[in-house]
Amino acid sequence: MSAADEPKRDARMAIGARLKEFQQSEVERILSACTTCGKCYEVCPMTQYSKTPAAPGEAVVPGVLAVLRGEPGSAAALGWIAVCTRSGVCVPACPHQVDPRMMMRLARMTALGGRGLPKQIETREDPDYFNRVRAFAKLQLTDEELKEWTE
Amino acid sequence: MSESFTPPGEPVTFWYGCNVLRHGDIIHSCLDILRALGFEPSPVGGPDYCCGTVKDVNQITAGGMATRTVGRLNARAARVVAWCPSCHSHMHDFMERANDRQFDMTYLVDLLYARRDALAPLLVHPVPMRVLVHKHVGFNELVPVNRMVPELLQMIPGIEVVHDDYVAPGYMCASFAGMPKALEDIHANTVRAAKAAGAEAVVCTFHQCFRELCGLDASGYTQVYNYIQLIARSMGLPYEDEYKAWKRAGDGAAQMIGPERIAKVGIEFYERAILPELKKRPVLPK
Repeated sequence: MSAADEPKRDARMAIGARLKEFQQSEVERILSACTTCGKCYEVCPMTQYSKTPAAPGEAVVPGVLAVLRGEPGSAAALGWIAVCTRSGVCVPACPHQVDPRMMMRLARMTALGGRGLPKQIETREDPDYFNRVRAFAKLQLTDEELKEWTE
Repeated sequence: MSESFTPPGEPVTFWYGCNVLRHGDIIHSCLDILRALGFEPSPVGGPDYCCGTVKDVNQITAGGMATRTVGRLNARAARVVAWCPSCHSHMHDFMERANDRQFDMTYLVDLLYARRDALAPLLVHPVPMRVLVHKHVGFNELVPVNRMVPELLQMIPGIEVVHDDYVAPGYMCASFAGMPKALEDIHANTVRAAKAAGAEAVVCTFHQCFRELCGLDASGYTQVYNYIQLIARSMGLPYEDEYKAWKRAGDGAAQMIGPERIAKVGIEFYERAILPELKKRPVLPK
């Protein structure tokens, strides 16, 4: 890397650092606010699709917090995290304004290994995801539109 | 001032997202609608403007995408109008928390609802149809689309919006791609709700749902539209829904698309990555 490239690299590191800092501050806020009452789990419409059996909410949520701390999550917690689709009905159900949707989103990022911690759940990445988007764009837009609207 | 003078519209960036590029008619219609409402929309989207929400597995990549996109949007108009619920909520939840957003953000449904008095006189062509709006529980607290979209549709002459209590989990259907049982339930409940309410068609707010539910249309369970398509039809906009036509055609889509366009993406890629999506049909419980 040349000396001229160093400011760009530093800028990129700084950008990544802000997202990481925000996510970590949210994790700390959630860990300090959540009382593990389990109401978020109890109202969730997706628990029925978890691969692990239903359990009392207060028994599942501690496993989610463990994931946020970078510790292994329980099977029930990981099963729930895997099926979260951001329904958001947990948000008004939470008596402590934890924002359980953010809690689950960060837990999902963490459990997938996205925040640099060990991966605990698997996801199926579609290797053609962006290429398919680009291909449909070529089928649907003119060359001029492609150039002006997507680049 | 000359009588023929038309004041310039408010420039807005129309940030349409990624996957709606399957639906050129929706993008073109949105642009015409925005122009008709007095805006000067400048469209941007695709992978180069990705919000990063699809990269939960890699937050370094997601952060880079978010920063690049916020920077590119900062360099454009003072207002960004978002089409995609994923992009809009990701901007709200993460992107603007880790980047300096220098533009106002508006979700398109919000904008159309706010300008509904100006939109109503443009809806001149009747669209005689009983429709059920496909709803999800998520996103609605950020923008109350479950109330606004039915109201917008009700302004179209001939449309009757019917009601059912079913509201799907999640915030849009594409989230369920890896959960076939949940998606089956959504499909089955949507068809049941449409029949129970006497609807001829299901109308989606989001393109992600429209894409998934198009399989119900192709299989003959119910007609499926995106709400913008019905607004566009009532305004007399000419755009054809090619995606649905291709989906209905399945193997026959190649003939409709034509060799020239298929050559742009490559026949191998078309057969491996496009055709399976067009041929995919929902599984409904018997």
